[in-house]
Amino acid sequence: MNIYQPKNFKIIKIIDETPNIKTFVLKPLNGDKFTFQTGQFIELTVYGVGEAPFTPSSSPYHTETIDVTIMRVGRMTEVLHSMKKGDVVGIRGPYGKGYPVDSFVGKQVLIIGGGVGLAPLRSLLLTLIERISEFKKIILCYGARTPQDIVYKYLFPEWSKIKGIEILRSVDKCQPGEWDETVGVVTCLLDKIDIDVKDTVAVVCGPPIMMKFTTLKLIDKKFKPEQIYLSMERNMSCGLGKCGHCQIGSYFICKDGPVFTWEQLKDIPEPFE
Amino acid sequence: MKKFVTYSDLVGIIKNIIGYEIIFPTTSRHFKVLKTVEDLNLLNLNVIRPIEPIKQFFFPAKESLMYEKKDLKQIILGVKSCDIQAIEVLDKIFLSAPADNLYQNYRNNTILISCDCILPEETCFCSIVGGKPYVEQDDGVSDLNISFIDENNLILESFTDKGEEFLKHYFSDFDLPKNSDELKRNSNRTVSSKKVIEYNAEFIKEDKKGKYYKTVKYTYELDEIWRKESDKCVQCGGCNFICPSCYCFLIREASISSENQYRDKVWDVCHFTGYARVAGGANPRKYKYQRFRNRYQCKFVYRYENFDFYACTGCGRCIEVCPARIDIRKVVISLVLAKGEQVLV
Ligand SMILES: Cc1cc2nc3c(=O)[nH]c(=O)nc-3n(C[C@H](O)[C@H](O)[C@H](O)COP(=O)(O)OP(=O)(O)OC[C@H]3O[C@@H](n4cnc5c(N)ncnc54)[C@H](O)[C@@H]3O)c2cc1C
Ligand code: SF4
Ligand code: SF4
Ligand code: FES
Repeated sequence: MNIYQPKNFKIIKIIDETPNIKTFVLKPLNGDKFTFQTGQFIELTVYGVGEAPFTPSSSPYHTETIDVTIMRVGRMTEVLHSMKKGDVVGIRGPYGKGYPVDSFVGKQVLIIGGGVGLAPLRSLLLTLIERISEFKKIILCYGARTPQDIVYKYLFPEWSKIKGIEILRSVDKCQPGEWDETVGVVTCLLDKIDIDVKDTVAVVCGPPIMMKFTTLKLIDKKFKPEQIYLSMERNMSCGLGKCGHCQIGSYFICKDGPVFTWEQLKDIPEPFE
Repeated sequence: MKKFVTYSDLVGIIKNIIGYEIIFPTTSRHFKVLKTVEDLNLLNLNVIRPIEPIKQFFFPAKESLMYEKKDLKQIILGVKSCDIQAIEVLDKIFLSAPADNLYQNYRNNTILISCDCILPEETCFCSIVGGKPYVEQDDGVSDLNISFIDENNLILESFTDKGEEFLKHYFSDFDLPKNSDELKRNSNRTVSSKKVIEYNAEFIKEDKKGKYYKTVKYTYELDEIWRKESDKCVQCGGCNFICPSCYCFLIREASISSENQYRDKVWDVCHFTGYARVAGGANPRKYKYQRFRNRYQCKFVYRYENFDFYACTGCGRCIEVCPARIDIRKVVISLVLAKGEQVLV
């Protein structure tokens, strides 16, 4: 048994989120529990096809199964999307450092997500909900391309009922009459919220271009670099700080991240390339 | 522990070691695995490091992840200082928690016997990047060292428990070296160090102020120099493969099913376009010059920031292998000049 060996998990449920995103509910074949910290990631193997990193989207308080929300974008995710309930996949991990939730205590947590980037943020949100009284307020800003591209549609009504959570959503474009919330890129939601920047941490996850502009906007709003948390994405293979693939400056994203503060990244040329 | 030994005594004892695979350098500068006693006619401890990278004995080019490893005991003889340094780099990566147990297994089962360099060559620049052409106790991972006093006589010196055990086991009957032997050894060492510095007269001759680090770190604005220097690079990956301290790899998934699994660990190359490409085809290093630059940054900036030493050992293998005749030292000089700085610090 070597450190690169996956364990088998069975797909016990598949939820269609959008035309190209599905959530897979996975359970260890040997009945073990799977524990992780919110924000940590796993390496998921489709046997015979490939292996890729994903972040569990479920609550770390729930250890019987894990949810992984996956967008169909290429070779391995294509095959994964054609898999059925009962099929077996491999999982290694959890890897990396998750969100430093304890350091958010007593603060406002501003969560900003784009597209499938809401996956790790859902796990964070579920973690914060477990301890909701410890935080001043939670604000979720979520943007998707169109109303059809919104993930976890069925969960928003539930979340918006929780005291201490404010939710704002935007879509880039929509058909007339289809959407009565904000139309525009996700950063425009930041103009609609009332926050005391001093007392806030911002947690961002989404496509590179969205992360870039969101970071710029937050800096504009006087967030300090160490108040901005970003989920970085790079090509990965080992997940353990050895194979070299994920390096960004002198960091290994898999080992030192995947969550970084802007303070750590700001001097690295083109971090969002 | 130190012992005074003649060359023929050493060879005689090596012939009779059992239970180990013995790997040694030949006159034509290859690593050879000892199969028959006659093979030792090819032994030459005074050539510079072999052509192949030493990493292959701990981190094979392709290794199955599916089988439990047999404990292969090996002795690598005549390891040069630069290659000892390369193993230090690999140790930092592969032995940091969680340790890569495949690599760890090879390392635990290996005795490293280093050897002073008497005859550095023009491609050598160990002394410039923080090394020197011989190994001392504090230099890291060597278990035992050989220093030639002259053609026929040598000093064996153990650095680790493993090395001391080895000396006790095979060389207990031998005497301590005389003081004059040690003085002769020290002067040989000074001569070799000087030679390395002479060979590098037209490049950076010393790195006391971290010149390699500073030069490569602050050169993002010199895109056009990187483009020019990488122009002839054909992205063959030769430098990555041959480099003893390049550790990148890929885990290849090729199972038949979840019950019938197969995966392996293969050397990978940061010069290849697909190395950093992510889903959907985006690539943080899409241009050749960016990938070329990345290799220099990895060696002289990133790992230096992590470990406090360079991930380039100055072995010169990449200079020797490059079909476009790119010399890592010349590239750094071009950057120094482009910044309007002095070469000879
Ligand atoms: C920390 C982290 C967390 C992530 N979390 C999520 C998440 O929660 N949800 C989500 O949808 N996405 C997530 N991603 C992105 C996800 O990893 C990619 O979408 C996934 O890798 C796409 O794989 P693919 O094979 O379908 O895509 P492709 O575009 O086909 O390939 C992606 C990469 O794998 C390489 N590759 C392809 N085939 C092979 C092969 N045979 N051998 C070796 N390399 C190959 C490609 O060169 C490319 O670099 C995350 C990424 C990271 C780094
Ligand atoms: S680089 Fe230095 S240690 Fe390596 S072979 Fe040349 S002289 Fe010896
Ligand atoms: S970069 Fe070149 S000189 Fe430096 S260790 Fe690698 S092969 Fe040797
Ligand atoms: S994925 Fe291998 S080093 Fe990060």
